[in-house]
Amino acid sequence: MATATPDLLNDTFDVRRAIKPSSFTQPFWAATREKKLVIQYCRATGKYQHYPRPTSIFTGRKTDIEWREVSGRGEIFSWTVVRRAAAAFRGHEPYVVASVTLDVGVNVIANLVNCALDEVCIGMKVVPYWLPIDDGMHLLMFQPEQ
Amino acid sequence: MNCLRESAIVAYAETKIMEKSDRDVWELDAEVLDALLERSGFEKAEIDGLVMAGFGLTAAGESFWAQVTADQLGLELDYCDQVHIGGCSATGSVARAAAAIDAGLCTTVLLLFADTGVAENNRGDRSFRREWADPYGVFGPPDAFGLLTRRYEHQYGLDYEMLGKLAVTQRAHAMLNDNACEKLRKPITIDDYLNSRMIADPIRLLDCVMRCDAASGLLMTSRRRAREKGIDKFVTPIGYGERTNFLGGENFVDVTRSGHEVCGKRALAQAGLALRDVASFHPYDDFIIAIMLQLEAFGFCGPGQGVQFIREMNFAFDGDLPLNTGGGQISAGQAACCSHNLTEAVRQLMGEGGARQVRNTANALVSGIGWINYSRNWGTSSALVLAPNA
Repeated sequence: MATATPDLLNDTFDVRRAIKPSSFTQPFWAATREKKLVIQYCRATGKYQHYPRPTSIFTGRKTDIEWREVSGRGEIFSWTVVRRAAAAFRGHEPYVVASVTLDVGVNVIANLVNCALDEVCIGMKVVPYWLPIDDGMHLLMFQPEQ
Repeated sequence: MNCLRESAIVAYAETKIMEKSDRDVWELDAEVLDALLERSGFEKAEIDGLVMAGFGLTAAGESFWAQVTADQLGLELDYCDQVHIGGCSATGSVARAAAAIDAGLCTTVLLLFADTGVAENNRGDRSFRREWADPYGVFGPPDAFGLLTRRYEHQYGLDYEMLGKLAVTQRAHAMLNDNACEKLRKPITIDDYLNSRMIADPIRLLDCVMRCDAASGLLMTSRRRAREKGIDKFVTPIGYGERTNFLGGENFVDVTRSGHEVCGKRALAQAGLALRDVASFHPYDDFIIAIMLQLEAFGFCGPGQGVQFIREMNFAFDGDLPLNTGGGQISAGQAACCSHNLTEAVRQLMGEGGARQVRNTANALVSGIGWINYSRNWGTSSALVLAPNA
């Protein structure tokens, strides 16, 4: 006989992650050492882009791209509860994967942590949560703004 | 000028869809080739082109796949190609084979869609996932569609019973398809759909496709060559559209929109058809909601009106708008490089649908969805309109 249990969310903090930055994503990962979020900005169009690309997705000119530090504040664009994870995350379910619209107008996919399932909603304000990973780097996650 | 119309699909073949193949992928290729030669009356030596779908998990990692397969099958070719647009590879192969025939590169093309990815998955991944998805335990398609579905519900509202209606309709079709994966050939109800366990909320188990093993193939030649061979039962592509990286030059997109908006219009315009003329619809189905999103993107109904449209329509093989009459991938099994819905449409237009034969065989609209990208909906959208002896 199944009994109703509260739908608790897990985090994925103790999953081992080995990030290998590519030649053109180094600035992003380097900034995470100081828990800073930098996003690519296209000078020609005045727009941000994420995930990091080898060139401007707006103009196709790599020289248009620079990195700018942003606040990391945003709101939930959409979210899902992962209940069947890939092998490395097996056993950590359920956890939340969210798409977050930063205040500079790009969507970032990341885990949402320090949040109960019944609090999660589209439009919820969030701020960065930096998870320490290898080599002094941090992994960007999000948590509710308090 | 529409070069597509000058080509003819003279035969189709498919193996049964299996949970896991105990036979090598090349043996399945050979079974398909054998059936195509038997049914078309062509000799192997007449085949001078090979187009293989590139969405093969078994093939992954072998850089020379089309060539090694040609060698396995003893084919001597003037044109050898592999089409790499994910779940659009099958429909895309038809367009490319037609173009190759029209350009005079070859006259008769074997299209092969074979994969035994459950038994032998050689896939590697070199995409954004390594840095921007894997560290978060983003499993892939179910999670992406979870995000997409939640956003759709936020923007438009969503009655999950209507998604269940699509699932039930396709399952009923699979019951009539002897080639469908046996594990899936059990009837379901809308309640079964609603009560199936969550995989990536709000994506349920019965929203999801199950990866299987199988092979299928088509034999295409020029219309003139088909006539010379005395073949009068064939199917012709009359319209095709494809869009990769829809809104790819924008940084923030409405995930409920897709490239089917543009490639659907293009395919139908090339075919000279209006949506109301579409006789049967065979949309790519990796998740049930993808069918509804395509109903909207193709323009059968407006954005956000999918639920209402589904409520009003009967999608059974003998209904208003027959939908994935072989069961779709979700109820027949995702296999053979996602070619199942294409071969089903060809079968229907040849009048060989058996217990699930549609009444109106004037045309069929088939679509593709290829690859899952970052914070959008999917990588490639395709639309192919087929007609019998048009």
